[in-house]
Amino acid sequence: MELDTRVTGIKGKTEQRTQFWKRFKKQKTLHLFVGLGMIFLLVFAYTPMFGILMAFKQYSISTGIKGIFTSEWVGLKHFKEFFNDYQFGTIVRNTLALSLLKILFAFPAPILLAILLSEVKNLKFKRFVQTISYLPHFISWVVVAGIAFAFLSTDIGMVNKALLGLGIIDKPLDILTNPNYFWGLATGSAVWKEMGWWTIIFLAAIAGINPSLYEAAQIDGAGRLARIRHITFPGMKGTIVVVLILTIGSILGGGLVGSNFEQAFLFGNSINNSTSEIVQTYAFKVGLRDGRFSYAAAIDLIQSVISVILIFSSNYIAKRTSGSSLF
Amino acid sequence: MQLSQKQKDRIMDAMIYALLAILTLSMLYPFYYVLILSFNKGTDSLLGGVYLWPRTFSFENYARFLDDPHWYRAFLVTIMRTLAGTALGVLFTCLVAYGLSHRDLLFRKGYFTVIIFAMYFSGGLIPYYVVLRSLGLLNTFGVYVIPSMLSTFFLLIAISFFQEIPSELKESAYMDGATELVIFYRIILPVSMPLIATMSLFLGVGQWNSWLDSAYFVQSEGLRTLAFRMMEVINKSNAPMDAIAVANSASAGVTSYSLQVAAMVISIAPIVCVYPFLQRFFIQGIMLGSVKG
Repeated sequence: MELDTRVTGIKGKTEQRTQFWKRFKKQKTLHLFVGLGMIFLLVFAYTPMFGILMAFKQYSISTGIKGIFTSEWVGLKHFKEFFNDYQFGTIVRNTLALSLLKILFAFPAPILLAILLSEVKNLKFKRFVQTISYLPHFISWVVVAGIAFAFLSTDIGMVNKALLGLGIIDKPLDILTNPNYFWGLATGSAVWKEMGWWTIIFLAAIAGINPSLYEAAQIDGAGRLARIRHITFPGMKGTIVVVLILTIGSILGGGLVGSNFEQAFLFGNSINNSTSEIVQTYAFKVGLRDGRFSYAAAIDLIQSVISVILIFSSNYIAKRTSGSSLF
Repeated sequence: MQLSQKQKDRIMDAMIYALLAILTLSMLYPFYYVLILSFNKGTDSLLGGVYLWPRTFSFENYARFLDDPHWYRAFLVTIMRTLAGTALGVLFTCLVAYGLSHRDLLFRKGYFTVIIFAMYFSGGLIPYYVVLRSLGLLNTFGVYVIPSMLSTFFLLIAISFFQEIPSELKESAYMDGATELVIFYRIILPVSMPLIATMSLFLGVGQWNSWLDSAYFVQSEGLRTLAFRMMEVINKSNAPMDAIAVANSASAGVTSYSLQVAAMVISIAPIVCVYPFLQRFFIQGIMLGSVKG
């Protein structure tokens, strides 16, 4: 009896093994396809992850990729150096300010636009507004910066020329260079560029609301504002939460509401540096420009860790408070 | 006087329409302004006052753009990277997705874990730079197209798209003795046109607009992209007091600023022309993306 099961067990195992090989052989072309993809990810996604080690080492670019593993450990030296950097406070403040301003203004903008659009009954007008509103999403930040220059520069900007010509101001507004204007400029341009795009997703949420709810509310005497408040808005809540989590998780990079790095890089200059320098531009400058790879990798790492913490904690809070979450 | 519900609704309607009209105008006018500026004589534009129509109409800016070897070269590089990068990206991503779309594939879960993890975590710019450097990709055209060959985001979308294709299509081909590569090329790709159109649009626009990789990984002047060149000009003229330099560089009515405006129009034009036709595809795209998270 005992022997019997053992024999059948072994038999089952070898059978399984041959079946496994049969299946694998049959699928070998598919595994080749997928395998190529895996090699790609190994090279371009996973090797850089190991590269994080260089933040704790004294890495020199001349040692190539091997140097990541062979160079000397220095522990938290680069992290300490960053915390003691004279610019540390300003950079962190600017990064947080930009991110916060975008959550406050650039995130709600598409929700408002979606609600406004859902109240429009003329379909042609609605489609026209939508088509125009997500055009800027497809234009690069470089062009947006170029447009900003054409409108706002002190010397040739149209706004300044027009205002001076009309006698409304007697000195051009230095919006592009004055540090006081940078946060507003970055937030405003992010709203302009990304508002229409994210409206698509909120409009879809509104389209999913059961129309009989509106009819019932109308019979109960609810006005339009009341219907927006009690039906449209609650109907979008799940989508809003998911998009908010995504936004918060990627907000240090500017994420869904416009790239902080590209804005800071393009709108930043030597004069508004005190408000435009953010963690990413600083890491880029000390890393690729000055060649201090380990130091820049350490700064990069701090930012990624904070982003991961943000996405997990906002997801957790959303799950606890509203029931909708990302994962 | 008490307003009736109907009157209130009408007032609100008027407000909504007005607000949306203002908003639309604020998004449309900048593009229009850049367009008329590009057709206005460069030296004349510096005086200001061009609002609705070119004051001194001229093709000079575009002529100079095509004459200037730097701009022209950047234009060609941008076209080439867009074509090559999009084709490679769509093909390779679809190929990998096709393999993964087979539900009975061995190690399927393992493969997916590798992909999802790569989506959420990254090593950051500096280690990435080191990897590209040791692969010898820095300062080559390859750096524009090879690292972007596989899009994990579209990989997941393509997998779910391929799974919707009826298996009878594939099975009959198997019967006829077709290999996987033939099935992929002859059956899967032709029935996946909506997916391919969406991917092409997004990858294409990404390639067309990209300038960061040119700034990070390329030093050779001959490999600069259109967007990078514009960035250079903006960075230069953004610095205070350089408008004088902008004006001084004028020759034959063209300034470096008006040249840049022409370059902007050239970089916007293809997108504006293509995207109204592909709208429904990319709305599909963002919806699929949102479902997947």
